Amino acid sequence: MTLDEIDKIKEEGLRECDAVKTLPELEAVRIKYIGRNGFLPQIMKGLKDVSPDERSEYGRIANEFKNRVGSALDLKKAELAAGGAANGESTFDYSMPGIWRGLGAKHPISSIIEETIRIFGRLGFTVAEGPDVETGYHNFEALNTPAHHPSLDNTDTFWLETGELLRTQTSPVQIRVMEGRKPPVRIITPGRCYRRDTTDATHSANFHQVEGLYVDRNVSLADLKGTLAYFAREMMGPGVDVRFRPHFFPFTEPSVEADFTCHVCGGKGCRVCKNSGWIEIAGAGMVDPRVFKKVGYDSEEFTGYAFGMGIERIAMIKYGINDIRFLYENDARFLQQFV
Amino acid sequence: MKVPISWLKEYVDFDASPEELANKLTFSGTEVESIQTIGGDYKGVVVGEIKTIEKHAGADNLLICQVNNGREDLQVVCGARNFNVGDKAPFAMVGAKLPNGMEILERKVRGVLSRGMLCAEDELALSDDHGGIMLVSRDIPAGTPFSEVAGPPETVFGIEITWNRPDCLSIIGMAREIAALFGTKLKLPSVDFMERGEPVDVMAEVDLQDAEGCPRYTARVLTDIRLKPSPQWMQRRLTLCGVRPINNVVDITNYVLLECGQPLHAFDYELLRDHKIIVRRGFSGERMSTLDGVERQTLDKAVLIADPVRPVALAGIMGGAGSEINDNTRNVLLESAYFNPPDIRRTSSKLGLSTESSYRFERGVDIGGVDWASRRAAALMVEHADAVAAQGVIDVYPGKQENRKIKCRFSRVRSVLGVDVPDEQIVGIMKFLELQVAGHEKDHCIVEVPTFRPDLQIEADLVEEVARINGLDKVAAVVPQAKVVVDADDSVTRAVIACRSNLTGLGLMEIMNYSFLSEQLLNAVSTVDIDSRVVLPNPVSSDYSVMRNSLIPHMVDTLGRNLAHQVDNAALFEIGKVFLKAADSSISEENHICVGLMGKAGRVGLSQRRPVVSEEIFLWIKGIVESLAAAQHVDDVVFKTAEHAGMEKGWAAVIEAAGKPCGILGVVKPEIRKKWRMIEPIAIAEINAAVFVSNIFRQVQLKPIPVYPAVSRDVAMVVNESVRHEDVIKIIKKAAPRELTGVELFDIFRSEQIGACRKSMAYSLTYRSLERTLTDEDANRYHEAIKDALKNELKAEIREGK
Repeated sequence: MTLDEIDKIKEEGLRECDAVKTLPELEAVRIKYIGRNGFLPQIMKGLKDVSPDERSEYGRIANEFKNRVGSALDLKKAELAAGGAANGESTFDYSMPGIWRGLGAKHPISSIIEETIRIFGRLGFTVAEGPDVETGYHNFEALNTPAHHPSLDNTDTFWLETGELLRTQTSPVQIRVMEGRKPPVRIITPGRCYRRDTTDATHSANFHQVEGLYVDRNVSLADLKGTLAYFAREMMGPGVDVRFRPHFFPFTEPSVEADFTCHVCGGKGCRVCKNSGWIEIAGAGMVDPRVFKKVGYDSEEFTGYAFGMGIERIAMIKYGINDIRFLYENDARFLQQFV
Repeated sequence: MKVPISWLKEYVDFDASPEELANKLTFSGTEVESIQTIGGDYKGVVVGEIKTIEKHAGADNLLICQVNNGREDLQVVCGARNFNVGDKAPFAMVGAKLPNGMEILERKVRGVLSRGMLCAEDELALSDDHGGIMLVSRDIPAGTPFSEVAGPPETVFGIEITWNRPDCLSIIGMAREIAALFGTKLKLPSVDFMERGEPVDVMAEVDLQDAEGCPRYTARVLTDIRLKPSPQWMQRRLTLCGVRPINNVVDITNYVLLECGQPLHAFDYELLRDHKIIVRRGFSGERMSTLDGVERQTLDKAVLIADPVRPVALAGIMGGAGSEINDNTRNVLLESAYFNPPDIRRTSSKLGLSTESSYRFERGVDIGGVDWASRRAAALMVEHADAVAAQGVIDVYPGKQENRKIKCRFSRVRSVLGVDVPDEQIVGIMKFLELQVAGHEKDHCIVEVPTFRPDLQIEADLVEEVARINGLDKVAAVVPQAKVVVDADDSVTRAVIACRSNLTGLGLMEIMNYSFLSEQLLNAVSTVDIDSRVVLPNPVSSDYSVMRNSLIPHMVDTLGRNLAHQVDNAALFEIGKVFLKAADSSISEENHICVGLMGKAGRVGLSQRRPVVSEEIFLWIKGIVESLAAAQHVDDVVFKTAEHAGMEKGWAAVIEAAGKPCGILGVVKPEIRKKWRMIEPIAIAEINAAVFVSNIFRQVQLKPIPVYPAVSRDVAMVVNESVRHEDVIKIIKKAAPRELTGVELFDIFRSEQIGACRKSMAYSLTYRSLERTLTDEDANRYHEAIKDALKNELKAEIREGK
């Protein structure tokens, strides 16, 4: 076969391919041109008869024949298949399950921590983290907790053989950050804490807190309330408000407990908020000058607020989880719901 | 702490419902946790006299009684047996409605008519006691309305007192708070009494040897006491507060404890050798028996009250057996003291012995009120126990100090609170709280703190007083302002968050386990790591006794427990800390990432019934690690065969990044899986997170997008089974020109034709130049060179054609 003849067959093949209207017709064209007894094997067979000089050109033309006709057939096939489906001729079952790997899910505790970081991040808080194995100094003494405070007991705190302990709160991170830099300090410190609680529906010996600290000139309790109110609305939804009740923590003075409006009933009273309309969320207050003294801050020049919240508690309230143990059982049927 | 409202009203006048009062207290820092009503109006309940008692013929455990209600005898069927003929008890007649809601009807009990009910205390809402019917004095005439016996209903608050406010651990302390909240005056009871006896220092002696452990000790002596039940009103108040009445002397000490928060101890004066009290530290090896009958052995350095021969009380915690009030007691030495809080705390916690007394001493009682409490108790003993009081008091108080003075700047109060409290208001609050305002200047006042408020030490403490009494509702929620601390860096946290997102993007679900676990679970996976384990000296239980040094045991356990819940397929990850003990016993922490696969987790589409084989699950987990590494910009990740205690031999690989090992992956050993009844293989990877998050914020540097077309060539070859993919890649890379831009293994197969212990591997190679279009000749030249190298170095038999 001459090169011209090959080109001619190619053009014809492309035309025929273009003209077909059904898949069986197309199959006939395929057999005719590139099938086992079609033109292509003939063309390839012709290669051995070509003189060595022309062999490379012949090869190129033959290859082009194969590629052009082959892809024209493929394109037409796809076109007819698609058109066929549109015309209702196809038996393709569109209702079959889709095939692609699904997304996984973050643990609800992680979701709450990340959401908290995001919310406070918008206010300019950055994250600080610290060790789980802490010194008694950072966990208690620097936080103005006297050595005979009951929380230091073996019954409440996991003391280690090294004389260190598993931190009972994320507050020691405040101390570490303040030891390391001068004001302003604007941090949140999510992390894992440990207390010797026997596990039940609302207690867990291993739990998470997020702590916030802002130290600067002219920081007041009103700033704290505004910041927590912003967080409350971002985390729990619009219409959620904050109220303060006085409380006691060794490292803040004044100390408050912050309640959020119950987001389930909107404050009218329901089972979730035990009919009070409010849910206790955070412990907070103005940093005690005795704490500033420990880290070498001048409490005349600087004031600051600090707050701490239980992550599990927020997750439980927000997602309607009624038993803290679900969060650590890692039952796939539970986790799956947070995809 | 239980606080009956009627008792409060003895010391403070206020006009508020229990709910209003509870609200005011809660919002000033004293949380009212419960409001309980004790008793009721008892309509239809009278005192009944039991006239006859017979057995019920139809039921062994029931009695039939005739009960007189003052007018007639009524037949009653009763289940209790704690009474005799002639006893008197509250009797609910037909039609009565009890506080617990029960309505009394005439009814037949096992065929016998019952016309009323003899009541137990719980049915009358007086206590939780259902041990039998309540008996009242036989002196009360039958038919007397029970409301006259029980008195009006009582409201009792359950109050939580924070650790800093020991002064509130008493009725008077609470009344003082309420007086401040309502702006009224506290009324204290009289502590005057006649001192008719001998001078006290003739009768007794106090030798205070340990002024650190006991800064103040007072003793009074009361003689000629007549022990008898304490007056009804006192018994009632004790009962309302949950204290069981015993006799007048003991009740009075308990009453004063509840009233003013000062624990007292009454010794039998005659049982104190030489009538002498010595306050000293315990010696090593010293022992004593306490009132509860327990022999206490470790008294070393504990503060003790002793007479010249033996300890007679564990100071501030519990009295000793052998010197306590007993039926023959006539003369009493009354102790009222202040013990050093840390000492009491230490001893109480060492002995595991906490009492009403130690609870208050370890928080700090009112050192200035020690004698007042003693006088109050003495006055009550004179009045209610016919006591003759010795003259005077022994009061050893060597280190008496002046009251603390604190400067309170009005502007500071306002700026810390962000509330515009007027000066006069601040001063007024101090006065209402019974703090002495020693000086009032233009911009500040000087507050003199009475001894009952040991918590008030610096100005900030006064700011809090203003905050809580003025009301925290006055604090406005200021619209927050964003502020940037420019040099703060939290990239590590953000990198971990990105890592978590990448893992969920890969289809994995995050799990979270405790940081501690059982030794058995650790041992189930490996015991080679024992030396690196941090063991908790005081775990909550053996299930949580060791800090985890690897996330793998929890991952295996989590997969196994899910399988037990019929979850067959799971792809999980955990990011968490592990704790490692070094040879010098110091502890370090590392953040780890753990991935676990079970079942067909990596298979998409149909063919879900085909069992998973080790090779498949190994390659899935490897794929996850590779994908994660790519997403986290971890360069040069290579996998090298390794051994691991938890992994099947030949199915484990160590993960290296930048030439350093940073993790392990593999298929878990069958003998481990068996413990959770896992039949199919599971695969686990554990990676040190620090390595995997350190590059994530590296800037991408864009490389030019190729403009010239690529040419691809396949090579298929038969090689020995021992030849690994990595060997092939190494040789290809060595022989390849820089135009080789991609190598992809696209097929492996084995067949009889190929022969035993041999396999065919097929690779697709892509060549591309950045400068020009490659010709077929170029590609062929490159490709032949690579084929030659494979032939020579791997003894590969290249399969031509395809």
